[in-house]
Amino acid sequence: MGRLKFRMARKKILATSGLFAMGSMLLLPIFLALPALAGGGGGSAAGGPPPDVVAAQKAKAEAEGASAEEEKVEVGRDVYYKIEGPVVGGPAPKTEDSETFYPRYNFESRVLLWVANQQHLYYGSFVLAVPIFCMCIEFAGMVSKDKAMAKKYDQLAHDFIKISLTAYSLTAILGGILIFTFLTLYPAFFGYLSSIFRPVMHIYALMFVAESGCLYIYYYGWDKMTHGVMKWIHLSMSVVLNVIGTVLMFLANSWIAFMMSPAGIDEQGRYLGNIWHVLHTALWNPLNVHRILGNMAFGGGVVAAYAAYRFLSSKTDEERAHYDWMGYIAMSLGVAFLIPLPFAGYWLMREVYAYRQQMGITLMGGLLAWLFIIQATMIGILFLTTNYYLWQALGRMTGGERFQRYIKYLVFILVVGLLVFITPHTIVMSPAELKAMGGQQHPVLGNYGVMSAKNGGINAIIMTTVLSFIWYQRGNRVPAVKWARLGNTFMICFFTVAQLNNVWLAVYGYFIPANVRIGLSVPQVAGTLSCLFFMTPLNLAMLKGARQLGPIKWGKISPRSQYALIMLATAFTWMMGLMGYIRSSVRLFWHVNEVMRDNSPWAYTHTIGFAANIISFNVLFFWISILFVFWLGTLGMKSPVTAAAKEPVAGAPVPQPAAGH
Amino acid sequence: MLGLIVDGFLMGWPVFALLVGYFMYCQTSISDPEMKKRLQFKTMIAMLTGLMLFMAISNYSTNFHGESRLLPVSLVMITTLCFIMGLYFTNLAALFKIGGFMFFVAAALSGYGNWLPQVEGGFPPPVVKLDFQSMSAQQLADEGEKIIFGGLGQSKVQGAIGKGQCPLCHGFQQGFLSERAPNLFDVPARASTRLDEPNYHKGNPEARPSVQKEAFPGSGTAENAQEYIAESHACPNCYVVPGFGVKGSNDTESPMPRIHKPPISLSMGELAAVDTWIYIREGKEAPAYDEIVASYEKFIPEADRITVTAEEEEGGAAGGVLATGEEPVNEIFMKAACVACHTIPGIEGATGKVGPKLVEGTNAPKRIKDSSYKGHAKSVREYITESILDPSAYVVTDYPDNQMPKDFGKKLSAGAVNKIVNYLSQLQEGKEPPPVE
Repeated sequence: MGRLKFRMARKKILATSGLFAMGSMLLLPIFLALPALAGGGGGSAAGGPPPDVVAAQKAKAEAEGASAEEEKVEVGRDVYYKIEGPVVGGPAPKTEDSETFYPRYNFESRVLLWVANQQHLYYGSFVLAVPIFCMCIEFAGMVSKDKAMAKKYDQLAHDFIKISLTAYSLTAILGGILIFTFLTLYPAFFGYLSSIFRPVMHIYALMFVAESGCLYIYYYGWDKMTHGVMKWIHLSMSVVLNVIGTVLMFLANSWIAFMMSPAGIDEQGRYLGNIWHVLHTALWNPLNVHRILGNMAFGGGVVAAYAAYRFLSSKTDEERAHYDWMGYIAMSLGVAFLIPLPFAGYWLMREVYAYRQQMGITLMGGLLAWLFIIQATMIGILFLTTNYYLWQALGRMTGGERFQRYIKYLVFILVVGLLVFITPHTIVMSPAELKAMGGQQHPVLGNYGVMSAKNGGINAIIMTTVLSFIWYQRGNRVPAVKWARLGNTFMICFFTVAQLNNVWLAVYGYFIPANVRIGLSVPQVAGTLSCLFFMTPLNLAMLKGARQLGPIKWGKISPRSQYALIMLATAFTWMMGLMGYIRSSVRLFWHVNEVMRDNSPWAYTHTIGFAANIISFNVLFFWISILFVFWLGTLGMKSPVTAAAKEPVAGAPVPQPAAGH
Repeated sequence: MLGLIVDGFLMGWPVFALLVGYFMYCQTSISDPEMKKRLQFKTMIAMLTGLMLFMAISNYSTNFHGESRLLPVSLVMITTLCFIMGLYFTNLAALFKIGGFMFFVAAALSGYGNWLPQVEGGFPPPVVKLDFQSMSAQQLADEGEKIIFGGLGQSKVQGAIGKGQCPLCHGFQQGFLSERAPNLFDVPARASTRLDEPNYHKGNPEARPSVQKEAFPGSGTAENAQEYIAESHACPNCYVVPGFGVKGSNDTESPMPRIHKPPISLSMGELAAVDTWIYIREGKEAPAYDEIVASYEKFIPEADRITVTAEEEEGGAAGGVLATGEEPVNEIFMKAACVACHTIPGIEGATGKVGPKLVEGTNAPKRIKDSSYKGHAKSVREYITESILDPSAYVVTDYPDNQMPKDFGKKLSAGAVNKIVNYLSQLQEGKEPPPVE
């Protein structure tokens, strides 16, 4: 008995260390970036050229000896780091509207590039996100004490990577199309970017080779590396795969970050010999973090949609049970990464304002402000849909019906919260519209849309979502701990106080100046996060040894719930397209902000309607192609449930994929 | 509607031909009457939904660049056909239903985007040659107002922004709350008092706490009000008004860009115009042009000064244009002399008879379909653009070729062409012309 306990403890330690190692390796690139952030991010505060530039200059001077005095090395001043470096590249080309700089088909080149870019990005995000899920799920399976559960988790991770593998080749094809589109339609601009990024372009290509190699070994080695050390090696392959994928994404991000906030070049766009400065621009790290989280939420959405598709086309109860569970796990992962996304977005916007205040104002209070109204609506839709799915999911649990009568109150809070959240305060208008409205604020609605009230709206929505999740966790269970009554009372009081605090601050915001009002967001968000981080664990603690009202009947969920998953996936995809458009449009008529001007006939910003149409086109193009991939995948696939049934595991309840949440 | 059905047929005829062939095959080769009936019914459904699909595509393809972008309508049609297909093709029902639902969501979001007020970002400001030096003070002030607010008389319009982008952060009216940057009302009077503030360190730039002590080595500090204004434009970091520094910098760094540098890049003449407006609008006498320029020369090194000559060199595509695209469309028609040859409904004086009447909303779709049409346009907008840039691509019957100049591509900015296309595409025979904007 003692030996068994020791073994279990050893396994736990091993598992925890493994997780820690995985996390550390995954975050390694970010940690590596931090010292440079501290050293160079301040821009003008950093004095003198960096050591490597000094060394390069010195070495060159020594090599040239006496002639160095005669042939002076031309020195340029970095537009961001404000330090001097030797000019080693040509200036950014000054383009004009001609076939030489902008060759074209009989169509708007910018839209063609937009579509090519967006499709590559969708597939790229998906294939980078799914291996991270696989790593987490495979790890969960390895450390699970329940062998049946372990097997199920392993099978789920395998299913996930299988979907990603099919999409991987499409990602590569779309990458090729993107490069050809750049070369044929924007040769001058692409040539300039390539000249700047030349030192890392081959590393980027090699990373692709490494990523493919790892992915294939990881996938095809799945059935060969199933036990003991081999399984750990298999898991470490996923860690390596994800580290490579993350670095790959960081490198790709550096291009767009450079276009928005160039560094490592002088005012004429001449490269100053320090590739790290070119990569590590003002917005690189915020973009990296934002994109990792965004990819994860998006990846969760796509896998959830896949599960929904398989659920809806299932012929047997067993299949339905499996895909119901898969959809639930994917949705939970997606939403888990959706919650921190606004904070990463906030950081990105703060850095945008710090980099160029006009850029921030163009985004939030100028030309692109209406697009943020659409974004707010999308966020509301995502949370409403998540709640709807959780309420539907209560239907598959015996005892879940006792919460149904309260749902109408949650709907009320969610709808009111959303309406407040999407009400604008000040909006961009033409003089005629301004005259018609009698001012920049609407006579009635203008009184409502202040920031503290909007914050109140979204916080009420998030708090309600947390409550829905807690109810879902309790669906078929009743707390049996001795302090259950006290716990429940505490929980009710906590939620009530947090909500009252939120509403009170939302109203109080009307009576204080705008600059003070901004500060109210801190206590509002603190209340919401407290609900999330204190109440969810408290609920789990209360459910230890809980009285079961019945099993979770996986697969016995309404088909409507699966449409909620599809809605989530479509909304994620649409929002990703929208935010990408906003980020790209903020450069206005610059290819590279303030350095290389866009002189093409398309150097203006489209209307919101046109942008919305192209985003919809991109979303549908992606979904039609990936649904086709899903369908192709089902042609030669044996049912996972049938496959699992052929290899029975002792004690496994075959039709039930998982007993817990 | 009938036109749409015809367009749908013309676009999707190969698919319909295939379906008809399949229908005939079922009729002749399948002996089981039940199966024959079922397959024939399904083929009919496929034809119906196929027609809806091609109608949806043709509806959108002719409206791609038009004012009424009807993508949501097309998407709703596709949604409907997906659900119809899902009902009858049970093997693929899940795929069709999911697809239909996604089309519905995309249609709703697209509709939402089209329902919101449509704001279009203009083209980059063109470089126009102006002789600031020979202007009177009032003319200079007028140009200054255009640079700051985007047009004459716009200084009183809330939200108006010009090339200088100043109102993004600064307030200009008395008592106007200006949170991001100081309110510039009464700045000529206030400028001289700033010089005496302890943190300014007049005559002793090394003592300044700011991240940048001088505009450039040896430039020194301002000695009078005009120099203070020039210094704050050319070197915002040199002195930061308390409370308006970059957050966390303790007012040692300014968030304001240098306005003679990209992205704003005002020339010396434009800087003089802006400053003159600042004085004149308050009824104060502005310093002379040369005096203002001299104040900027003190803080902008020679290599960084943008002069009119340099602008002309960098003007590129925008240099020497007839219309920049900022004018109302009737003015563009006048400047480009379109009115001399064409009759254009809604444009005063456009009664020319040398060229055809420009009711392009009606004419263009017919001409694109004309068998003698050899151009590349697929939509009304493309046709109009092509006619402006390459008039010989299609010559209207009874009108001579080579009458219309072929260099409008060089003489009109892309913005101007866009405005012409916008206007002409809305003109239809027998209908009221749209308002001139």
